[in-house]
Amino acid sequence: MAALSLPLTICKPFRIFDTFSFTSIVQTEGRYTERTCTRAFSDIGEHMYLDCTPLWGKKPRLKSSYDVVIIGGGLHALATAYYLAKEHGITDVAILEKRFIGFGGAGRNTAIVRANQRTQYNVPLYKEALDLWPVLTKELDYNLMFNNCGNLNLVHSEAAIKAARIAISTAQFHGVESHFLDAKQAKEMVPALNISEDITYPIHGAMYHPPGGVVRHDAVVWGMAKGCARYNVDIHQQTEATAIHSKNSKITGVTTNHGTINTSRLLVTAGGYSAGILYNMLGIKLPISVLTIQAMVTQPLKPLLNHVVSSGAYHCYANQTLKGEIATGAHMDPWPNYTTQNTAHYIKHQAEALSDWLPCLRGVKFMRIWGGLADMTPDMAPILDGNDPLEGLYMDCGWGYFGFKSFSAAGKYMAEYMATKECPKMLEPFNLRRYENHQLMGETPALVNYSPDN
Amino acid sequence: MALTLTCPICGKRNGYEFRYGGEDKGPRPEEEGLSKRNWCEYVHMNTCKIGVVKEWWFHRDGCGSWFTTHRDTAKNIEVDTPEATT
Repeated sequence: MAALSLPLTICKPFRIFDTFSFTSIVQTEGRYTERTCTRAFSDIGEHMYLDCTPLWGKKPRLKSSYDVVIIGGGLHALATAYYLAKEHGITDVAILEKRFIGFGGAGRNTAIVRANQRTQYNVPLYKEALDLWPVLTKELDYNLMFNNCGNLNLVHSEAAIKAARIAISTAQFHGVESHFLDAKQAKEMVPALNISEDITYPIHGAMYHPPGGVVRHDAVVWGMAKGCARYNVDIHQQTEATAIHSKNSKITGVTTNHGTINTSRLLVTAGGYSAGILYNMLGIKLPISVLTIQAMVTQPLKPLLNHVVSSGAYHCYANQTLKGEIATGAHMDPWPNYTTQNTAHYIKHQAEALSDWLPCLRGVKFMRIWGGLADMTPDMAPILDGNDPLEGLYMDCGWGYFGFKSFSAAGKYMAEYMATKECPKMLEPFNLRRYENHQLMGETPALVNYSPDN
Repeated sequence: MALTLTCPICGKRNGYEFRYGGEDKGPRPEEEGLSKRNWCEYVHMNTCKIGVVKEWWFHRDGCGSWFTTHRDTAKNIEVDTPEATT
């Protein structure tokens, strides 16, 4: 039952044993069995993931052809594969993941879900994703720990009140619960909130969105992987796509570090790496800038936040995890950056922001920090398109920092798109050509690299 | 990890003094006969290259210069002009 019993430090002079053993519980065909692995310390560097059976099933062999190939092993890939199999009977699907599933945005987001976006095109998509959490929990038979604790979006100016009112009207029109609270009501809901006037951005009120909340993001990855495995989808980890092939403007295959696969339908949904992949392998340019977004958690505290609270002006959001940590984030350096590294600048910014609007956190220590990639589009809305410019090529990218909360609905509709080869109504507004036709969505008033405050 | 950039007038300065101005896409296209696609290409489209990219920067909190420089987006570090590759 125990995990590693020896420290994992691989300093040669201090090493006493050459091998170590550990026991893990593995699930095969619905039964749980214990399995003991013995590994050499010298293997750890090369085989970080060890040679054990993945949680979701057997390690598949890479076949020479698949009906559908998906580049990327994140939640959008898993969901698309899952719905291709479940709703459309297409089970000959390969997921190609360069590292391991959940390595990217799926495991780096701050687990917040909501459906109170700004435009009439986005809200129905996010609403569907929000409504799918309890459905997926049941379907996958996996506890996703969906906690619809509600989101409060603080507003700090008259302009922000107006913007919130527009967003609330849009939400209500689409049947999404959303209300405006004044500062006193917000304080009643979140007593830790500082609504005094002597802070940098005094709080005028909040947009309250009760059905939003948080989900355990790792559980979602594991649950979706199990769902895919149930339909015999092949999840290939440590498998990197290195080239995409086409002939007569039709997709014909993909080359990977483990060999070439023939396929006529290919989906590129590799989060922040999608745009680079499409340009490197096919010369397709996208209206995307890939930024590093940072997040952190504090030391665990007694319960003080029962909601997700966010502030546009402070550029900061916070919610309390079940462990008691305050999970907080949002900062992005406004220039392309693939490092996923943190900055001292941001840690200082976050400490200043939090101690302003949640003053009870003054003096609390940050425990962990991390970063991930956000592929930002000029209108803060994703690009979901297919068969343009190559037949059989589909893309699902440009989600910025909205990829986690949207993945199930996006996957469901992308699966329909790839199965029927016709764009579902829901996805039509998200086509790539909207940029040249000047039909940008206005999901945000502040664009990534041409905003006034940048 | 801190970024520093070299302004042609002020020299090496903290990256937060600058505003990013996008990938270098060459000269602004002539307006006569310009197609929507070509304009969109110039305004919005990026290569999103992971590696050395030639970019525009603006010394916002400094002398106000607009200049181009090379930066490695995989490391978030300014680099010298890259060597020619085949």
